[in-house]
Amino acid sequence: MPPTLKRKRSGSAASDSGSDASGSDASGSNKSSAAEWQGLDAAPDSQNAPPSSHAVKPPTGQELRNIKEATDLYRSSSFKFQIDALLPNVRPKYQHSQPLDAFLLALHKLLVDAPSVAPQHPLHASRSLSKKGIAVPYIRPLPTEDTNWKVAFDPPTDVVLVGSWPTRTSVKGKDALRYTVDIAVAMPPSLFQEKDYLNGRAFQKRAYYLATIAAALVGSKSSLPCEAFFESTSGDPRCTNLVLRPSDSSKEWSKLNVQIRIIPFLPESPIPLQRLSPSRSNLRTAAHEEETKEDATPIYNSAFMLMHTPKTHLLSVHALKQDVPAFTDALTLLRVWANQRGYGPGIRACVRGFEGKGMLWASILELLVHGEEPPPAGFGKASARRKPLGKGLSPYQLFKAALDFLARHRFGQDAVFVKSKDGHRFPPASYFSHEAVFVDSSSSVNLLAGVPLSSLDLLRHDAQATLDALDHSSLSEDPFQTVFLQDHRDVFGRFDVVLRVDVSSAEMRAKSAHLVADHGSVYNALLANLTSVLRRGLGNRAKAVAVLHPSSDVRPLTQALPSSSSVLYLGMILDTEHAFRLVDHGPSAEEQESESAKQFRDFWGDKAELRRFKDGSITESVVWDIKSADERVHVPAMIAKHLLQRHFSIGSDAVQTWQSQYDALLRAPDSIRSLYESRRASMGFKTAMAAFDTLVKQMKALDDQLPLAILNVSAASSALRYTEAFVPVAVPLASRPGLPSAASHLPAMEIVVEFEKSGRWPDDLRAVQKIKLAFFEQLATCLMGAVKGLQASVVLGDGPVRKEIQDEAALDIVTPDGWAFRARIWHDREATLLDRTIDPQPHVPKAVKKPLTPEEVRDRQAAIEAKEVYVRRFVHAPRHHRAVAALSHRSAAFAGTVRLVKRWFAAHWLLRSHVREEAVELLCAYVFLRTGARVQAEGAAGIVGADVPGTKERGFATVLEFLKEWDWTKGLVVPLEFGERDASVTPDASGRPSTRAAWSLVTEFDPEGRMWTSDGPDAIVARRVTALAKAAWDGLCGLESGDGNVKRLFHHPTDDYDFVVELNLALSPRYYQNVDADASVWAAKGKYANALPKEPVSAVMPGFDPMTMFHDDLKRTYEDTALLFYDVLGGSRIGGVWVPNLRTPRPFRVLGGFSSIPVPKDGNKQKEKSQGLVVLNENAVLAEIGQLGHGYVVKITQKGA
Amino acid sequence: MGSSSSPSKQKRTSAAGPSTSPLPATIAGFAVLPITYSQSATHILYVRSHSAPKHKNSKGKQREELPEGRTLFVVNVPPHATERELTVLFKSCGTVERVLFSTGGGNGSTDEQEADGAESEDETGMIEDEEAGDGEGSGSETDGDNGPRPKKKRKIAQPDGPQVVPLPSVPLRILRRTGHTAYVVFLDASSLARALKPPQKPYVWPVDTETPLGLAHYSTLYSFLRPPLDVVRAHADSWMEAFEHEQAKKRQESKYHKGEAIVDEDGFTLVTRGGAYGKTLGGGVGVASKQFVNEHGEGAGTGGGKRHRKKKTEKKEKDAFYAFQIHEKKRKEIIDLKKKFEEDKANIEKLKQSRKFKPY
Repeated sequence: MPPTLKRKRSGSAASDSGSDASGSDASGSNKSSAAEWQGLDAAPDSQNAPPSSHAVKPPTGQELRNIKEATDLYRSSSFKFQIDALLPNVRPKYQHSQPLDAFLLALHKLLVDAPSVAPQHPLHASRSLSKKGIAVPYIRPLPTEDTNWKVAFDPPTDVVLVGSWPTRTSVKGKDALRYTVDIAVAMPPSLFQEKDYLNGRAFQKRAYYLATIAAALVGSKSSLPCEAFFESTSGDPRCTNLVLRPSDSSKEWSKLNVQIRIIPFLPESPIPLQRLSPSRSNLRTAAHEEETKEDATPIYNSAFMLMHTPKTHLLSVHALKQDVPAFTDALTLLRVWANQRGYGPGIRACVRGFEGKGMLWASILELLVHGEEPPPAGFGKASARRKPLGKGLSPYQLFKAALDFLARHRFGQDAVFVKSKDGHRFPPASYFSHEAVFVDSSSSVNLLAGVPLSSLDLLRHDAQATLDALDHSSLSEDPFQTVFLQDHRDVFGRFDVVLRVDVSSAEMRAKSAHLVADHGSVYNALLANLTSVLRRGLGNRAKAVAVLHPSSDVRPLTQALPSSSSVLYLGMILDTEHAFRLVDHGPSAEEQESESAKQFRDFWGDKAELRRFKDGSITESVVWDIKSADERVHVPAMIAKHLLQRHFSIGSDAVQTWQSQYDALLRAPDSIRSLYESRRASMGFKTAMAAFDTLVKQMKALDDQLPLAILNVSAASSALRYTEAFVPVAVPLASRPGLPSAASHLPAMEIVVEFEKSGRWPDDLRAVQKIKLAFFEQLATCLMGAVKGLQASVVLGDGPVRKEIQDEAALDIVTPDGWAFRARIWHDREATLLDRTIDPQPHVPKAVKKPLTPEEVRDRQAAIEAKEVYVRRFVHAPRHHRAVAALSHRSAAFAGTVRLVKRWFAAHWLLRSHVREEAVELLCAYVFLRTGARVQAEGAAGIVGADVPGTKERGFATVLEFLKEWDWTKGLVVPLEFGERDASVTPDASGRPSTRAAWSLVTEFDPEGRMWTSDGPDAIVARRVTALAKAAWDGLCGLESGDGNVKRLFHHPTDDYDFVVELNLALSPRYYQNVDADASVWAAKGKYANALPKEPVSAVMPGFDPMTMFHDDLKRTYEDTALLFYDVLGGSRIGGVWVPNLRTPRPFRVLGGFSSIPVPKDGNKQKEKSQGLVVLNENAVLAEIGQLGHGYVVKITQKGA
Repeated sequence: MGSSSSPSKQKRTSAAGPSTSPLPATIAGFAVLPITYSQSATHILYVRSHSAPKHKNSKGKQREELPEGRTLFVVNVPPHATERELTVLFKSCGTVERVLFSTGGGNGSTDEQEADGAESEDETGMIEDEEAGDGEGSGSETDGDNGPRPKKKRKIAQPDGPQVVPLPSVPLRILRRTGHTAYVVFLDASSLARALKPPQKPYVWPVDTETPLGLAHYSTLYSFLRPPLDVVRAHADSWMEAFEHEQAKKRQESKYHKGEAIVDEDGFTLVTRGGAYGKTLGGGVGVASKQFVNEHGEGAGTGGGKRHRKKKTEKKEKDAFYAFQIHEKKRKEIIDLKKKFEEDKANIEKLKQSRKFKPY
């Protein structure tokens, strides 16, 4: 077949002569490989087709297979490469294991040769060991003088390497923790007796065995270069092991960064295993000695069973590795994923219950591949069994299947039994006393014993969030980063509500010796109780309530019992639909005496009360009192605090939250608030919107008095879409006089008025602007006539010079209640007229066009500017407003997040002057919409994506986290319309490098993404944003430790500025909004009285903010001289940075664009060169600034001066 | 910014003490005029006598406004300078007739540059740059500020048209970009010579107290921008009246009249329809599509129409007809696939270099 085809090719392609000859060579050499092409047979022969590029050869079969594999079995080829690049970084380098092997051999010898110790009384034994500096880690209750059993030591019958090291499935831990080489040491069965399962006697013997080994290791005659420690998994003293680390002096086996863990185990023992069924009780507390029916001791039993499993687990992992080629990689991926989220050891907040659970992850994969053990007949639903997956899956597929399992499985309800060889060892029903059940393939141990359900809720949530990220990655972010590379353990970015609890003084209300004994320590019992109480108390308010604390560390051999950290973090992920409910209902009044009512009262304490509700029902209920609507978001934290107090007597001083600190940042100081209240001010976004609606009605009612009817009034102000940093406040006009000038600012809310269409508008831009003035005048007169007490005035524009064709005129309206609006008229023909001025002959090709006269050039420039203002003001601003308002309605935390982030930007002197408010809103919207946007389209209420912040605090943290990582050279796609048209939007990667704008925020209606970023931030400021976000993020992580205020993140360092202009605080009408507002400025009037302007403060001046105007003027004037920074929210200083290259001498130019001074002649040196050079005249510029701000520039400080 | 701090310090010391290390008297043909703001701050003005551009397109009007011989060209005028302040500043040299500010923005005085372009060699390259960049705009100097003014005057001067009631005006400072230029026209030539001579003692910047600065400036501006409603009304109404008058006059003068066909110089008749506002031009003949009107505007009679007719769908060839086409297509797909694959690989390699794949 190839030859025939070749002939045809050469015939058809006779024209491209040169390429043909070389092409035929290539096809000849390719003939051999063509054999393996099968389906794609002729492809190599058409080799010579592209005459342009000989270098491009079609891939060989093997390559093609690789490519196909990468795209089919992984998400994409780049995802596969990333995985391939990741894997070697998280695995130990086994090639360096030589010295370790030598050490292990020596250790083996030492263990096998250890001298026996004859049976003796446990106390006696421990005394002799303590002389060597080793405390025997006996568990509580400690053996007493009258215990009648004995401890002894015989050399181990077997020493095996177990765990992940021998199977080469080790995965690096977080925080540079060491790899662990597990050595299981088989205790001779002769040491144990049949009854040892009772009351932890076997654990005592194990403790002695371990201590003896430790003694042998540290004993003087041993020459092993290591240090030994005790370690208890999850702080459970029953699971104490011995950890060996290389001593400092020797570096022999430290290259691998490993430690050795010695685990005593019982391969076979005289203890009958059926005694250890999860339903059996093996602890006899003194009080219950006589009773026959006892509560089961599930945790104790499974800890006991763990003594039997090391070797079986090793074998099952080994078998899996043989069976499933992708097992190791999949396991590594899964564990990296888990480690990044704190499901593993680490020194930062880790999720409770996942220490030493390496086998769990392997077993999850085993479950996926081998399937489940069917329950015995008649037990539960046999139908919805999971089907086993194939063994030939790729690591990524396996990983995703594992996530899918974790995200879907309801641990609290369904038990999981991995397929085992011999069926169930214990009947499934016997696991009833476990919270969650996941039985391994040896069917002997529940791997989830001791893992609180709440932690599993979190696991489930995280898995779901990751799946969302993987499935919805149409957005610009590469999911690989979030899934594997990013550390997700920061509590503030992860949880909606974070509580820092000091449990050192905690005491369980329902203290049960049994519970303590089952959990092995008071601390573990407390945590188990605490998680279940909180989980129950919060109910469906929270998707997950997790307890986090640093994982347990090693302790010296002299310390018998594990110590536990007294500080833990409670993290909640809220379900915003239910979280802020004010009332919890209990059983109804009829059931007063029932058990459930009693329980309810017992659970809630004095908060539970009998209430009658609107629908007539009377029920037990819990009502959470809040003072204002803002406090609604505090309800979950309030519940947690109440429960901690009631059940664990943890006082409020031991619980720390950060919510109110954040709230304080968005609120006027108390003295101002009380001032407002005393003047009957109306506050709140809802009130502002109601005022807007009223105004619209009043305006529409004027129809017959106006020449044209008002068609539409749309809002375009952040105060009318919940996203203004400060809650809007209106002081009634009558009571305004006398407000301190530092709080006299009255922001004007932008609104856009659209009149009905008419042919009578003039066809001239200048005339249109004048007509607007006439309309405004009429509107003002009519409004003032119709509404008593309303004030309206026509505003000509912004500056002293009028721009003739640009929309400038506005109407300031102040309602009697004190709300201020600034109306503008949208006339859509302006756009056409402007377009015509910009390009009067759109159909004429550029080359033919007449060159423009200077006058036309100027007109054109003005028209371009006017068009930009027009498009932004009338087309984009209202649309943006609607989209953001909709988002605020859909996601409860969005508005709060925007407000905090705006506050943050403002506090760092960036908002408005460099970063527009709309840009901030888009950034925040991105964080809320990046996952789950699609689900949103159908969902009726609330954003349903798994990973959407539920409170503003978390939203803020997430935005910071995003900002610090954001590579702003690439555009950002914000699906503001909730993905209705998202397919068409792709980031314009090429961008326009020429623009000053650094950010590109693409939305559905702004495909270029520069609408809100065209005038900043530029690259310098964008870099500064990144740096500030990094610093703030570090500060946020620092808050975890419990000291410091959130406010710290909002304090701006001024060291970087070349000069700082200090303004007179008392003259800023919005000084009260300053982060560090000092009440004395407006309280002690006498102090600044002389500085106050003479004119009466009573005049209502909506939108008047001289400080901002001053800053804007400076910015315009010194655009090319210095970058200026200013906090619009009550800032009292302006910071500036000289444009760097102006400070090096340069030749004089007439239009240098900066104030210069000649470089003085420098004696005889460089006479020629320095001539004609000028340099920035810094002093003169600063003096000018001082003159311009005459009256309120207090001081100008220069850096270094 | 931190990096540039060390050289800067050095410079500041040099800039701080202008009295100790003397400034050069001239620079690139400009006399250097130090102006003291305060004890520590000295501003520098660069002055030169104005020489009119030798351009062919230089306008006579401009020549009138800036008479050669008694016009001082001032560079680096303080941003907040007013006419009055400059007048006072040069009072010691002679009486100032008027002051013209350039817009400060774009191309204020390329002509000035050009006039003495050849003087210093190291400047020429830069001047050419400027010329090239400005292109056609070079003539617009000084028009920015005073351009519209004469126009308005003309309008008001017309005896037959209705008068425009002006909006109230108050003395307000107009802030210009820093480093802008101005022309100071003296009454006689001798004052110019005096102004060019370096003074014995640096001039002191006269601050005009009548035009407010600082907070007073902003509150004045604020109230200036909100004139009483009746003034606004009078202004808007009279302006519109004047505008309509003008329009009417234009219509009279225009060769296009309602109801008459528009015939361009080639003898073609423009066919339009009534237009959105009823009284667009001409319209005697037939109807053009609305799209036509929108796209070409009223004035466009020629040249436009044909272009769009060409938009016919091109003949479609079947691209999977011959076997070789199919093969080629397949092959191309595979090659593209590989290319993408290799690109990805290279990308990841690059990322690997930056140690991005260490999760912790």
